[in-house]
Amino acid sequence: MMPVEPQFGLSPLVDPELGGPPTGPVPMAPAPVGKPSKWIGKIGPVVVLLVCLAFFALPLLAMARFAFQQIPVITLRWSDIFSRWTLRFVKQGLDDQPLRNGLWLSLKLVLATVALTMALLLPTTLWVHLRLPKLRSFVEFLTVLPYVIPPIALVAGIVVVKDNARWFLNSDYSLVPFYVVLALPFTFRSLDAGIRALDVKTLVDASRSLGAGWGTTLFRALIPNLRASIVSSSFLTATVVLGEFTIARVLLKRTLPTELYTFQQSNAFAGTGMALLILLVTTLLLLILTLVTRKRGAAQSITVF
Amino acid sequence: MTDVALNAVGGRAAGAAPAASAPKARRSWAWLGLVPFLAFLLLFLIVPAISVFSKSLFDNNGDFGFGALKNAFTGQNLDAFSFSVRLSALSALIGVIIGTLLAYAATTIRRPKWLRTVVTAFSGVAANLGGVPLAFAFLALLGRQGIGTKVLEGLGIDLYGHDFALDSIWGFATVYSYFNIPLMVLITLPAIDGLKTAWREACANLGGTSFTYWRRVGIPVLTPSLLGGFLLLFANSFSAYATAAAITTKSSIVPLRISFYFRGDISSGEEQLGFSLAAWMILIMIVCMGLYWFLRKRAERWRT
Amino acid sequence: MSSLSYISVRKTFGPTVALESLDLDVRNGELISLLGPSGCGKTTALRIAAGFEFADSGAMLVSGSDITRTPAHKRNMGMVFQSYSLFPNLTVAQNVEFGLRTRKVASGERKRRVGEMLELVQLSSLDNRYAHQLSGGQQQRVALARALAIRPEVLLLDEPLSALDAKVRLALRDEIRRIQTELGITTLIVTHDQEEALGIADRVGVMSNGRIEQLAAPSEVYSRPSSAFVARFVGSMNELPATIRGADAVDVLGTVILTPSAAGHDAGTEVLLLVRPEDMVVNAEGVTGLVGSVTSTTFQGAATVVGVRLDVIDSLVHAHLASSGAGHLAVGQRVSVSIDGARAVTERVDSRSEQTDVSV
Repeated sequence: MMPVEPQFGLSPLVDPELGGPPTGPVPMAPAPVGKPSKWIGKIGPVVVLLVCLAFFALPLLAMARFAFQQIPVITLRWSDIFSRWTLRFVKQGLDDQPLRNGLWLSLKLVLATVALTMALLLPTTLWVHLRLPKLRSFVEFLTVLPYVIPPIALVAGIVVVKDNARWFLNSDYSLVPFYVVLALPFTFRSLDAGIRALDVKTLVDASRSLGAGWGTTLFRALIPNLRASIVSSSFLTATVVLGEFTIARVLLKRTLPTELYTFQQSNAFAGTGMALLILLVTTLLLLILTLVTRKRGAAQSITVF
Repeated sequence: MTDVALNAVGGRAAGAAPAASAPKARRSWAWLGLVPFLAFLLLFLIVPAISVFSKSLFDNNGDFGFGALKNAFTGQNLDAFSFSVRLSALSALIGVIIGTLLAYAATTIRRPKWLRTVVTAFSGVAANLGGVPLAFAFLALLGRQGIGTKVLEGLGIDLYGHDFALDSIWGFATVYSYFNIPLMVLITLPAIDGLKTAWREACANLGGTSFTYWRRVGIPVLTPSLLGGFLLLFANSFSAYATAAAITTKSSIVPLRISFYFRGDISSGEEQLGFSLAAWMILIMIVCMGLYWFLRKRAERWRT
Repeated sequence: MSSLSYISVRKTFGPTVALESLDLDVRNGELISLLGPSGCGKTTALRIAAGFEFADSGAMLVSGSDITRTPAHKRNMGMVFQSYSLFPNLTVAQNVEFGLRTRKVASGERKRRVGEMLELVQLSSLDNRYAHQLSGGQQQRVALARALAIRPEVLLLDEPLSALDAKVRLALRDEIRRIQTELGITTLIVTHDQEEALGIADRVGVMSNGRIEQLAAPSEVYSRPSSAFVARFVGSMNELPATIRGADAVDVLGTVILTPSAAGHDAGTEVLLLVRPEDMVVNAEGVTGLVGSVTSTTFQGAATVVGVRLDVIDSLVHAHLASSGAGHLAVGQRVSVSIDGARAVTERVDSRSEQTDVSV
């Protein structure tokens, strides 16, 4: 799930083409002297790859086993490996009311965050590209600031005003602006890349010269062309929001991650099962995102680093 | 970052801005467009950050003092700092080494051709996985009741008998590696691509072996990226909260200590310590990211 | 005394045959240029010499010693790559001395040689710079110094000028030749630029599809191309349909042209007559039977290229005329063309389909 802590990690979805594909029939590096190093050169990378594959797959498999197989680890034997698999726990998870509420709230937060992000960033990025191009790097720098202030520190800052801003912080939606901030590095970058791939100035000029007002220009000329960026920012935001635990927890909100955490304590099996589901959904979202941005080419890649 | 194609033309309006306006007036008018964004950032990012600092420097009576900041390094908080720093360094080191090896493997193994794409895609995904579900996954694998633990027992390795625990430094480091390694892969791939085959061949042509190449060209050229990666992973690990919170209830690392001071509505009276911990955390992040930035710029200089 | 020999070298990459069976002797002190379109195998040949590829069969000899299976780092060749081959983390001086360090040359001697090499390429003042601080031309000069510092037996250059600007290219080309002659070093240079090849080499090997079509001095390759491919690839050619009239004449659209290239074909065979633009003369209408109209005159300094559309076959030919004689020609003017067939090449029309791909 989206952790916000590997927030740096949050979508350094590098476009594979960005690094440059190997050109043509690339000749292999000259064979090193001596047999041993030759073998290491060839086998080494494969071993590394396989070991890493195991490392990344095992936790997920363990989760699946824990959640879907009814046998406690202590009594597990090799012969049992295919017995007593069930989706019972998943059902339990799905039936749990607080968890469902948490999911519902998180979904609503996703929508609200996406909406606020777009409302804030679309005009801003367009404005910067059209009227203040020199300030582009400054704005970019600003959007990287959330990295320097990790969620746990940010929430400490929020607590400072807790007494004064109680009216605001009481609402569950008070999380939204902070989520917008957390997702900022990625959403800005995604929109920015999309805008740079277009020739915004020309589009705007063309639209205006044909008599369209700013509203029409925005909605009929610009936004349709930025669809891919908008979609990818939204997906990213969704993954951030669905996984954000830190701020929600300290502010005692009951979102999906916090509810999952609580749920896990009473029903470890179902909790793990739900967590696995969420991981799979997030993975799916991010994979779709990678594929979409890849097809569009390097310009729409969302490299943050 | 990505290519910054600065429009050298400057802030000339796209529409038909009246040419008669004095440039100064026009420029300040354009600035207004940024106000909503700046205000938003100010309110929801800058102000909280500054509050953290002001709360650490000014106690409840309004007196200024570095006392709280210094006290952050005493007692349990000192232990937490020490643990956090060691843990972050360890995770970062593991991430750098394995991440670089994996990135190298992805670029060297030519068949199948889709391998690199797959590695990149999954790295992009895995770098973002973490938090609560990840913790559960490792609990299921290496927790006391974990299947991995059981398998190892069967092989004769008693994990928990050897003082392993998921909330020990090695336990955390293992879990953090799940997102640190992919992150390293993603930022190192471009750096490895930047190693031109011509260098390798020129080195061989001039009499150097593989070892010579790596020692005198390859590693030196990669070093800024590797260092930068280390810093990034360090910062990433240091600030991680959710994963740790889901693994343990003890407050052994700085982020957990911070939340200890602020959970819920209970006023512990010692909040200033919490704020100073957060302030220190921000300072550490600034230093790490700043250095990372600098190193990245240097590395890019060599990439033509 | 060093020579480089390819003996029936064959190389395939999967299903693609890069080199059919290459036989080539680069004599001591000679500069041979391998010229051809991309995919013709010239770069593969060079890389086999350097040791970055190994021949599937055949042998490579340097001054008689068999180096076919010797790994690259054990050979004593100097190589200059197309671009970006300087080690970015080392200064110019450190780059140049790289090969000397791997050969464990003493520090004092290294310094001396580096100084010598940098002076040879006229870059002594830049010894403390890094690659990214140098221009493309300077980088290649350093690369050359680096390759020569180890006193290689053979110098290999892989399209060293392709990545440079036109002006720099010319200057550097001459410099390479100057240094090569001065040092008397056996050299093999690969290029797709025919001007470069013709201008710099003692002998040119024109390659196509893994084979050397012709290996001869530049002037010979130009004026006596051994095949239609070479004729077309080197310089430009006009192509006119013709019929063989005898051992020394062809009939081009009713006009008889004397040309030795008619030998070897039976009378009546349909051929294409390939004629160089400078072997065509533009006359006033009526002088010969090849009549047409001027379509363009392109002033190129000393020469002017005149395009003429011939009436009968509606095909365009180009003639190179001295500008002094072409001044009076205007677009649309009716003219007649005469052909000097002494250097013409004939190509059977039906063999064209067998002709290997002549992509330029």
